[in-house]
Amino acid sequence: MRTLKTSEAATLLNVSPNTLRAWERRFGYPKPQRSAGRHRLYTHGEVAALRDALQQGLSISSAVSRAREALSTDTHTLVGALAGFELDRADGAMECALALRSVERSVEEVLLPSLDDLGDRFGLDSAPWAFAARWADTWLRRAQRLAPPPSRPLAILVGDATRNELDPDALRVRAFELFCGRAGVRVMALPIGCVNGLGDVVGALSPDAIVIAGSHASDDDVARWAYRVRAATGQLPTALFRRSQRASRMRNAAGASVLPDAPFGAQRHLLAVVDGRRDEPGDTVVAQPLINAPREARA
Amino acid sequence: MRRLRALRPLEVGERGQERVSFCGHCAMPPAAHIETGSRVCGHCGLGLVLQASSDIVPRGDEPFLVIDSTLSVCAVSACAEELLDTDETKAVNRHVADFLVPADANAPSAENLLVLLVDAASGSGEPRTTVVRPRQEFGVRFRARIGPCGPPHAALLVLTV
Repeated sequence: MRTLKTSEAATLLNVSPNTLRAWERRFGYPKPQRSAGRHRLYTHGEVAALRDALQQGLSISSAVSRAREALSTDTHTLVGALAGFELDRADGAMECALALRSVERSVEEVLLPSLDDLGDRFGLDSAPWAFAARWADTWLRRAQRLAPPPSRPLAILVGDATRNELDPDALRVRAFELFCGRAGVRVMALPIGCVNGLGDVVGALSPDAIVIAGSHASDDDVARWAYRVRAATGQLPTALFRRSQRASRMRNAAGASVLPDAPFGAQRHLLAVVDGRRDEPGDTVVAQPLINAPREARA
Repeated sequence: MRRLRALRPLEVGERGQERVSFCGHCAMPPAAHIETGSRVCGHCGLGLVLQASSDIVPRGDEPFLVIDSTLSVCAVSACAEELLDTDETKAVNRHVADFLVPADANAPSAENLLVLLVDAASGSGEPRTTVVRPRQEFGVRFRARIGPCGPPHAALLVLTV
């Protein structure tokens, strides 16, 4: 994916950088990512679509609307391909999306909304949903294998509390893992139900933070798993992701923070918290109480 | 080197009226000294430069809307945003009747608001006037000038407050 600096995007659109920033505030488009140095980076596809729309537009608003429409064709294509059980076409739709957007935005703006659409249309207990969810799960895992090797001295353990790969939350959890991996973080996801030998695995990873993701597993199961983790690592910062109905109860009980529902927002939030704590004097991670251990585990 | 002002040919419409350029958001004429080839207004940066004949073009703070041949709103001036209590980003692609409706019950059908707008949006209609009111507002009426503008072809509806 080709990206443009503010000055390059402004030149392509024949406007000043200030105008481009004003459009971002008023229209929310083009929507830049941020570089490591917090500079704006615009995707070439978005800027080019806007340039074409401006040539035939009557206002900036209508040109933005037209450019957005042009970019949303990827979502329609992916929905059509998955509804027609055409895997090659689905892969092609994601390739097209990646030509215009980052991996993060392709997943959040094309893949996940398309799957939501299919879930609404066919129901979460239908074969078409299972077909689409399996494809999306495979795509996300494949993308994770292509992520660069870990570059940060940071490891995150994800307690996967989703039902299975057909759970709609599971795709968001896979996306969260992918985004953390792409940020150079070592990530390991383990199902909440697997507690035998957990200490050995956790000891090998030595995580800096725990994320409990998904809302299917019961609080007792989560607490049992968390107790085993704490026994191996000591207290670590804990966050909840996509654990909607249970979040407030667990947060109150355990002092865990709640991550935003969107995977990229959750990744950024978690890294900001963990990185911030690592930068504190003494370079120590401030511990937060973990989920309370279940009665039988404490006994 | 002394900077010379470039000569610009006078653009003339079909009826011999001078074509005037203005911003579709702030209504200001484009800055003559900026020859960037961009259609984006150099004053506010939030509108595209459009053209219309001098007798229809908005003057001063006159609110105006730009409407296409499908009667969808394409642009709302800053003054019209205030007058109609809307935002251009929310108004774009909505039907003009969501904002303005005819208010002259005695007008013959040829002067129906929507007919005038379609004629103007086709680029062939001559500037006309009619009376309109905001939708779901009674007792408030505006005289409206309607004529072609562009590019591309669209109808310009200027309200006289």
